[in-house]
Amino acid sequence: MAALRSSSSRLLAAAAAARPAFKPQAVFARSMASVGDATVNANPKGASDSRMKSFQIYRWNPDAPTEKPRMQTYTLDLNKTGPMVLDALVRIKNEIDPTLTFRRSCREGICGSCAMNINGTNTLACLCRIPTETDKEMKIYPLPHTYVVKDLVPDLTQFYKQYKSIKPYLQRDTPAPDGKEYRQSKADRKKLDGLYECILCACCSTSCPSYWWNSEEYLGPAILLQSYRWLIDSRDERKSERKAALDNSMSLYRCHTILNCTRTCPKGLNPGLAIAEIKKEMAF
Amino acid sequence: MASIIRPALLRQTAMAAAAARPAMRSAFVRDAVRVSAFHASSRKNLLPPGPQVIQGTVNDPAPVPPTSPSHGSYHWTFDRLIAGSLIPLAVAPFAAGSLNPVMDATLCSLLVIHSHTGFQNILIDYVPTGRYPKARKSLMWALNGATVLVAIGLYEFETNDVGVTEAIKRVWKA
Repeated sequence: MAALRSSSSRLLAAAAAARPAFKPQAVFARSMASVGDATVNANPKGASDSRMKSFQIYRWNPDAPTEKPRMQTYTLDLNKTGPMVLDALVRIKNEIDPTLTFRRSCREGICGSCAMNINGTNTLACLCRIPTETDKEMKIYPLPHTYVVKDLVPDLTQFYKQYKSIKPYLQRDTPAPDGKEYRQSKADRKKLDGLYECILCACCSTSCPSYWWNSEEYLGPAILLQSYRWLIDSRDERKSERKAALDNSMSLYRCHTILNCTRTCPKGLNPGLAIAEIKKEMAF
Repeated sequence: MASIIRPALLRQTAMAAAAARPAMRSAFVRDAVRVSAFHASSRKNLLPPGPQVIQGTVNDPAPVPPTSPSHGSYHWTFDRLIAGSLIPLAVAPFAAGSLNPVMDATLCSLLVIHSHTGFQNILIDYVPTGRYPKARKSLMWALNGATVLVAIGLYEFETNDVGVTEAIKRVWKA
């Protein structure tokens, strides 16, 4: 361990010593792993072949709270940009405007960070292709009817608090029969398909008008889908408590089957169906 | 939601700035400030949403409302049963071609209950108790009064006049 430490400190020292030598090169502007340059070199025609598309992006800076939110337009060459909206956003942040703020993490539709309203539809920026026609501009807003932290970053505090309130974990009193693990039949496991894939990106909840008006008390489609996922889990033993927690006028029954949730879900799940199943289970 | 209140805030600050130093500014500048504040904001802030309310810390779960099936599952099931039974009741007299006062009375009472619960749902959706407790209470009582009035009117119409089905028939043929 000590040897490792000393060698690492030696490396650091070497790096520190080498830094002045690298400094003149670091003056160049940061760009995206030289992909853009490579395209330019391969395409001597250059500008005549470029496909410029403009992106209108919602901007609001919390440091200047009296300024109105505004739409800022950025223009990118699609030939030098990746196919997805997230690629465009990352490229804008890297090359044009480093103050643009948005959440992103996995860039493959698993983390749910980059949920935003793109051309009027809530979706994940990493799963949404940039339309190839260049004459139309693209509009990107934060998730609708949320409190905005900055630019495209919505405040999801209430959403996560509601998720916590449904106790999203296995609740059991009896130990497993074999003392090792809680087993489940294949049929019971199959019931969880289409429910466990939810990544809680909040696309569905923020597309639901009922959730817009009553987000303080109504749980919203995403949380109700998770609620159903624990209600029908054959291993869970608190079904009646879970049902009792939903049995009031606000938590569940503000759903009016608008089905915006099912239409917008970027993972192709069906929160509307899950809510209908909960209602059916609760009816007598 | 916050974006809706922000214009109001902006207008207030602009107005306050204009009012604070009237002597130092010419009338033109004052007017310009007021006009720009007006144009930079929306006049349509009817029933603006309040500021974000988070109960407890960010790590506490959202409060779970007390269980009351009469406002929850029973209410919903009752709603659906009434809505479902209204369909055959509305069709039957015309399909059969005969009038039965008992059936007519059932249709009327179910219609009253159906519209009452429907309006109740609208009030619960758009007049939340947390934000407008007084308006909610008064509107609920106004709805109760309206329902009673409609029920009495329909009773009178059924007992002293031709009844709903016959009235629809006559209007249809008129």
